[in-house]
Parts: sequence; C-alpha cells; structure tokens
Amino acid sequence: MSQYRKGFWRGALAAAAVAGFATTAMAQSELKIMAPAAPGGGWDQTARSMQQALTTAGLAKSVQVTNVPGAGGSIGIAQFVNGAKGDGSQLMVMGYVMVGALLTNKSPVTLDQTTPIARLTGEYEAIVVPADSPIKNAKDLAAAVKADPAKVTWAGGSAGGVDHIAVALFAKAVGADPTKINYIPFSGGGESLAAILGGKVTAGISGYGEFESQIKAGKLRLIGLTTPKGTPDMPSLKEQGVNLEIANWRAVVAAPGISADQKKALSETIDKLAKSKEWAEILKQKGWDDAYLSGDAFAKFLAEDTNRTKEVLTSVGLVK
Amino acid sequence: MDAFFALAHGVTVAIQPMNLLFALVGVLLGTAVGVLPGIGPALTVALLLPITFKLDPGGSIIMFAGIYYGGMYGGSTTAILINTPGESASMATALEGNKMAKAGRGGPALATSAIGSFVAGTIATLGLAFLAPTLVELAVKFGPEDYFALMCVAFVTVSATFGDSPVRGLTSLFIGLALGLVGIDRLTGQARLTFGVPELLDGVEVTTLAVGLFAVGEALYVASRRHIEEEVLEPVRGSLWMTKQDWKRSWMPWLRGTLFGFPIGALPAGGAEIPTFLSYSTEKRLTKYPEEFGHGAIEGVAGPEAANNASAAGTLVPLLALGLPTSATAAMMLAGFQQYGLNPGPLLFAERPELVWGLIASLFIANTMLLVLNLPLVGLWVKLLAIPQPWLYAGILVFATMGTIAAKPSVVELTMLGAFGVLGFLMRRFDYPIAPVVVGLILGPIAEAQLRRALSISLGDPMVLLQSPISATLLAIAAIALILPFALKGMNRFKAQED
Amino acid sequence: MSTRTPGRVDKAGLVIALFLLILAGLIWQDLTSLQLSSVYGLGPKAMPVVVSVGLVVLAVGNAVTALKGGLPARERLDWKPILFILGGLAALIACIKFEIGFIPATAILFAATSAAFGRRAFLVDLLIGFVAGIVIFLLFSKLLTLTLPMGPLERLI
Repeated sequence: MSQYRKGFWRGALAAAAVAGFATTAMAQSELKIMAPAAPGGGWDQTARSMQQALTTAGLAKSVQVTNVPGAGGSIGIAQFVNGAKGDGSQLMVMGYVMVGALLTNKSPVTLDQTTPIARLTGEYEAIVVPADSPIKNAKDLAAAVKADPAKVTWAGGSAGGVDHIAVALFAKAVGADPTKINYIPFSGGGESLAAILGGKVTAGISGYGEFESQIKAGKLRLIGLTTPKGTPDMPSLKEQGVNLEIANWRAVVAAPGISADQKKALSETIDKLAKSKEWAEILKQKGWDDAYLSGDAFAKFLAEDTNRTKEVLTSVGLVK
Repeated sequence: MDAFFALAHGVTVAIQPMNLLFALVGVLLGTAVGVLPGIGPALTVALLLPITFKLDPGGSIIMFAGIYYGGMYGGSTTAILINTPGESASMATALEGNKMAKAGRGGPALATSAIGSFVAGTIATLGLAFLAPTLVELAVKFGPEDYFALMCVAFVTVSATFGDSPVRGLTSLFIGLALGLVGIDRLTGQARLTFGVPELLDGVEVTTLAVGLFAVGEALYVASRRHIEEEVLEPVRGSLWMTKQDWKRSWMPWLRGTLFGFPIGALPAGGAEIPTFLSYSTEKRLTKYPEEFGHGAIEGVAGPEAANNASAAGTLVPLLALGLPTSATAAMMLAGFQQYGLNPGPLLFAERPELVWGLIASLFIANTMLLVLNLPLVGLWVKLLAIPQPWLYAGILVFATMGTIAAKPSVVELTMLGAFGVLGFLMRRFDYPIAPVVVGLILGPIAEAQLRRALSISLGDPMVLLQSPISATLLAIAAIALILPFALKGMNRFKAQED
Repeated sequence: MSTRTPGRVDKAGLVIALFLLILAGLIWQDLTSLQLSSVYGLGPKAMPVVVSVGLVVLAVGNAVTALKGGLPARERLDWKPILFILGGLAALIACIKFEIGFIPATAILFAATSAAFGRRAFLVDLLIGFVAGIVIFLLFSKLLTLTLPMGPLERLI
C-alpha cells in the first residue's frame, strides 16, 4: 500500500515532467474514461461525474471523457477492447444494459475481454400500476399473469433491456410462460410513463426513480421493488412471494491485457473515488444508489449476471 | 387568478439581476451552439450541466430555459441562411427560408422567424402557465392508436412538399421510409437492414440525413452547374426588414403555427417535427400566393417557425406537470432538476411554486431577450451571404461535417453524410423533392412502432383504431384531407367543362 | 421548369427505376432473415413488406414516366467540381480513420471545396481552413469539453 502510494506520487511528478511517457503509476495522474453512449445519457453522466469527483478529490490530475455512442455500447466496447489494449490509463463505463445489448446484437466483442474493476451504482426496478387499477399487490399481479399472460400488458424500456428481462423473470417466478408475456417497449421514460398514467397498459416497469414522484402524488401504485428487502411503504417482490431480484447497475472496466500492477493501481484509484465525499455528494445529487463492489467479488457478480441474462434472453427468444 | 399572482411572483424572481444574467448567458450559449448541426439544445444542456453545479437551482434552471429557446433560434438561422437545418424541426424552415435568403430576402425571413418565434413562444408560455394541468390530463389519454392516427394525418399532409409530380414525391417518401427501417426494431430488438455494420444498429440519424441532403447536396449541385449559370447571391434585395406586406402575410401563420405546435408539443410522443410539417402544408394550402411556394414564400417560414417554438414550450407541460421528459432537452432539464433534489411532477407545483413560476417567467424573459438580441443581428447575419461563393460553400461543408464529427465521430457516419450528399445532388438533378425523404425517415418508424404497440395491447384487433374516439376523429380528418383535393379538382374540372 | 420531350426514352429514368427495384429486393431479402416475430399483433416484417411493395410499384411508375420521356430536361454535367468536393470529403474521412486529426481534415475539406467553386489559391485556402479548424477545435474541447478526433497536432494543443 505504502509502496503503491510512493509510486503514485512519483508517477504524478514524472507526469508533470515528461508528458506522454506512460508508466503504471502515471495512470492515476492522467485518466481517460470512455462513455460508450452519446453525451447526456446515464453512462455519460456517470463518466462525467467520475471525472468531476476524481479531479476535485485530487485523485487524478486530468481526466478526459470520450463518447463512443451506438447500439447499447456495442460499438464503444469494440473500440475500447481493440484500441486500449494494455493501456493502464483507460477506463470504460458500462452497465447492465450492455450485458443484454452485447448478446442481442451478436457482438463479436464480449465483456470477458475487458478487465473488471468495480461496480459503482445500482438502481432497483419498480413495478407499478395506475392508481385506479384493481391490482393491489404483487399477489394480484402474479395471479393475473398466471391466468393469461397476454392480457397483462407491460410498458417499459427497449426490447432486451433490464425492464424486459425483469418482466420475463417475473413471469417465470410466478410460474407463467415467459415467452408469452405481452411486453411493450417504449422509446423513452416519458413515453412509457404516459402510457401507464393514461391506463393504456396494465403495469409499468422501470427504475424506481422514474416513478417516485408519481407514486408519492398517488397517481401510481407501487406493486413492488426488485430488492431483496423492502420497507413497509415500499415492499419488495420477494417479501410478497415473487422470487425476483434484479438491479440496473453501472460499473467501470479497464482495458484488456493490462498488468497486475496496472490493475491494482486503477482499482485503488476507483476505491478511493468510491469512498470519497465528493462521490458521495454526487450520488446524493443524482439520486443514485451506492452499489460499490470491487475486485474478485465484482468479477464473479459480472459473470453470474451475464449467465443469468443469457438464460433469460434465450428463454424469451431474443438470443438464439 | 391564483395562477396569475403566482406568475407575477415568478416574474419578480426571474428579473432579479443575477437571474437575468443567467438567462442572458443561456440564450447566448444556446444560440451559439444551436447553429451547429447535430449539436442540439439537449447536448448543450448536457454538457453544461456539470458547470452549473455551483449555481443555485433557480439560476441554473433559468439558464437551461435560455439555452433551450436559444438553441431553437440558432437552428433556424442556419436553416435560412445556409440551408443547413441545425435540428430536424427546422427542416421545414429551410424549405422556403433558404429560397428567400438566396433571393435577397434573408432579412425578412430571419425577422419573421424571430418575431414568429417570439409570438408563438409567448402565447405558448402563457398556455403553459394557465392550461398545463388541464392539457396534461388530455395528453396522457393519447394512446398508441391515437398517435398512429396522428401520424396518418401527418402523412397525408406531407404531400404538400411533393412538388408537381405525385410519383416522384412518393418515390422520395418511400426512400425515406426505407431508410427508417435501418437499425434495431424497437419492438423485438432485431436488426433490420444493417448488413452487419454495428454503427447502423442505431438507425439513420435525422440530422445526418437532413444535412447531407440539404447542405452537401446543394453544394454539389451548385458546383456542378457553375459552368452553366453562376449563382449570384445578393444579401439584401429590397428591404432588409419586413415590409407591410410581409407583416400582413406573417401574422396569421404565426398564430396557426402556435395552434399546431403547442398542443402537439404537449403530447408525450408528439415532438416538434409533426407540427412544423402540418403548419407548412396548411400555409401552402391557405396562401394567396401559391406560386411563391417552393421559391421563397414568407408564410412557409413564419408558420413552421412559430410551430417549432410553440412545441418547445409544449414539451414543458408534461415535464413540469407530470415529470415526463418528452424530448431530449426536457430529459436533460429533468436531470438538472434532480441535481438539486427536486422532482418535477404533480407535487412540484405545490411544493416549490416559486421555482416553477420562476421558470415560466424566465421563459418569457428568455424569449424577449432573444428577440431583442436577434433583430439587430439580422443585418449582420445576412452579410454572411456576401462572403465569396467558394468560401461560403467551403464553410458550409466544414460546418456540416463538424456537427457530425462532434456528435458521432465515426467513419460510417461521415460516409453516410457523403452518400446522402450525393443522393441529394442526384435528386436535385432529376427533380425529385427532397423534404419527403426526411419526413419518411422521421414519421415512418414512429408510425410503425405506435401501430404495433396499439395492436399488441389489443392482442391484434385492428378495431382498436376506430374504438378510440381520438383515433377515429384523426383518421376521419386524414381521410377527408386525402380525398378533398381530388374532389375539389374534379369539381373544378367539371365546372371548367360547363363553361 | 421541365421541358417535356414526349416519345423519347429517358435512360436515366430507367436506371432510377432499376435502383428502386434493387432497393425493394434488398429490403425483401433482409426481412426474410428476421427470425423473431412479435408475440401479439404485428411483427417486424409488416413495415418492410409495405415499403418493399411500395418501392416496386413506384419503380414501375418511374419506368413508365421514363419511357414516356417525362423526366425534366437536364444540362450537361460538370463532373470536376463534384469530384473535388467528394475528394475533400474522402480525405476528411481518411484523416479521421487514420488519426491524422480534425484540424488537417478540416483544412483539406475547406480548400478542396473552395477549389471546386473555382478558386485558384489552394495553399491560401488550406491555411484559412487550418486556422478555422484550430478555432473550432479549441471551442469544442475547451468550452464544450467534447473531444474531436485527435491527431499528432491536436495532442499538442
């Protein structure tokens, strides 16, 4: 640890003296973060927030964010894996959506090719119904889905995304046929929310934050969260007998082929970032939940979630 | 009356010197960035979000409002002057506006666009202040089948951009529809017409197509004809300002444009493009000078511009009243709100009235500021056209590619820009109308997705289109609009035969 | 505008009709490769079918017009300026592809277009484009924090 620190400071000095000379330790003074999405989206905001926190907390001297938008991150990751190989100063933001997108887009590049660093944030999914719906709780919804999955229409985000996967898992958990779900993808959060509020669909699913103000205003009824444990106001599905846990998380990964030292240095920087008060401040402002998980635990989590997603997408027919 | 007092209070918040300054910075940044094709107001707000961290919530949101309106002004300025619509909503403006500019009437075109935007923005902001809760109730009643019916109305009215041959007009439209198929199918997640190119999975970007067809295509066409006729641009011919005649021809289109823009903008999936097309075709039908359409008719600038700005205010209706972000910019503004722990939605009006009314008041102020800033600039803007032709077109091309590079720096995207430029050139050469291609690209995918959503909800029963009263009404309007011109033509022929 | 010369077959018009047919064929071929259908309602093939059939009908319509010689008359084409502009665009794309950078790319495009419009001062225009490129690059990277494609020169700034 202390040796690492020494290395870090020496690196920072070296960076100031000889710009352009890359060493392991220097990685922390000049970082490049790729957001594999257009400016403005969730991954871009995560990348830019990291940039802000890393520089204000003094964890990095300069951080550059680049955007490589397209196809749920498939284009960004391809460029990252090919272009950043062995470079210990580059990171890429990614998230659960990318896991599904890589599968459905038949991407030749996979997440296995990157070096997992850490999961940073996560948001649980919420299932809601319009306030005047006869469905009162998860049990009612489960019964309706079991009776006839076609008649229960779901509004959510893009096909194959986290919302879609959660609905398929819901059907599976209540013993209905996941291939028969009537899931209707909408383009933006606003559009699906309007469809739910207008009573055009039976239920809606999205990140909790998307529904929060409507639930508080009494226009939507919360059926359940995909958390392991809820609160009296916000019950989890699991507590209501529907075994469904899923979260839409965001993480950072590093380039393929970096040395163990480089990986360690990056992990240390991100660890300090995750524990800094600057980052805590940003999480609060953006309403993101801290879901920090690093090292082997994260690598294991990533592999497990990838497998589960593949299984679900195959069962829904999106992946052959 | 409560709303009135609240608004008055909002004005006192907005005219605090610091807030005025934020509004000014916002409109200046918005205009500056809005002129760049491909970089719309949404991206500007996104990029400025971190900078405004340190401002107080009121100030930064007021600044966003300025950027929003400023961005729309910027987009129409380039549409008129150099035929490069900065965003898809200013495409209709480019149709007549650029023709006016080339005929030395750039001054009146810019003026009617600025004043029209002001009038529409003001009326629409008033609508936002007083009608938001009622309108939003109606807006959420719009289901997928109703949107599909609205698209049908839009498709029928598109024929106004067809020119004199229906076959060529439809050909253009279908090329646009074909381009609209490219990418991931929204409902099943499968790739269509991507030929294994991952960059195509997201589909064809509207701005890339519009800029390619309009700006690059035009440059190629003008260059290829230099040996036949030298294009002579006169920055000002006649009056720099709007004449009495111009005013007379502009005020009704402004109001009609507002009537299209505000309600459709308030619909969660309404958008800004449809009202601008509707306004364009309405003005073309109603004008007393039909021969001028296609050669620079001022109504064709006044109407769409008003519609564009009114729809911008319209998108704030669901944002403030429901917390529904229905455009990219609105989504960014929502993020801006959340940055300060504020959740727009049903409770925002009750919990933080000073902020909501401050925002509405600052929209008024941003609008006024834009008018005051832009009118004196008209004289300066049209001077752009006095730049020697080689440099003018070289600048236009640099400009067109720059926006694409900044938004999507990929070889595939730039190649598409070039290919669309060639397409635009060929279409000009063989006299195919260009606007329907862009219209097809915009409307096709929306119409398809909404119809399929409606049929998925109804489990495949097409009667859902007639059972919804909104949808049934809109479909009836579309049918009438489709048949009426033929019926009128037939009657005229009949009359002519009698004579 | 259009001077019609009835009775003469317009070859370009037939090429356009052929192009539309090919496009329709491409769409048709692509839609047959779609494996998934929507569970309820219309599938992803419906719209491509409509577009494809529509294009075939329009191809016939365009061919008929061409056979009647109904296309507007056209002047002789001057290819040189077109090649200049497209060459400039191709150079720009190459600069981005091979990481030569945004600024030289802009300079070449500017000079090439200017030459297409008859200016004979390529070096001066190259310089103007270069300066414009630097200004744009600085505006984007400093003000908007957007990274434009980098080359050796951009890394120095």
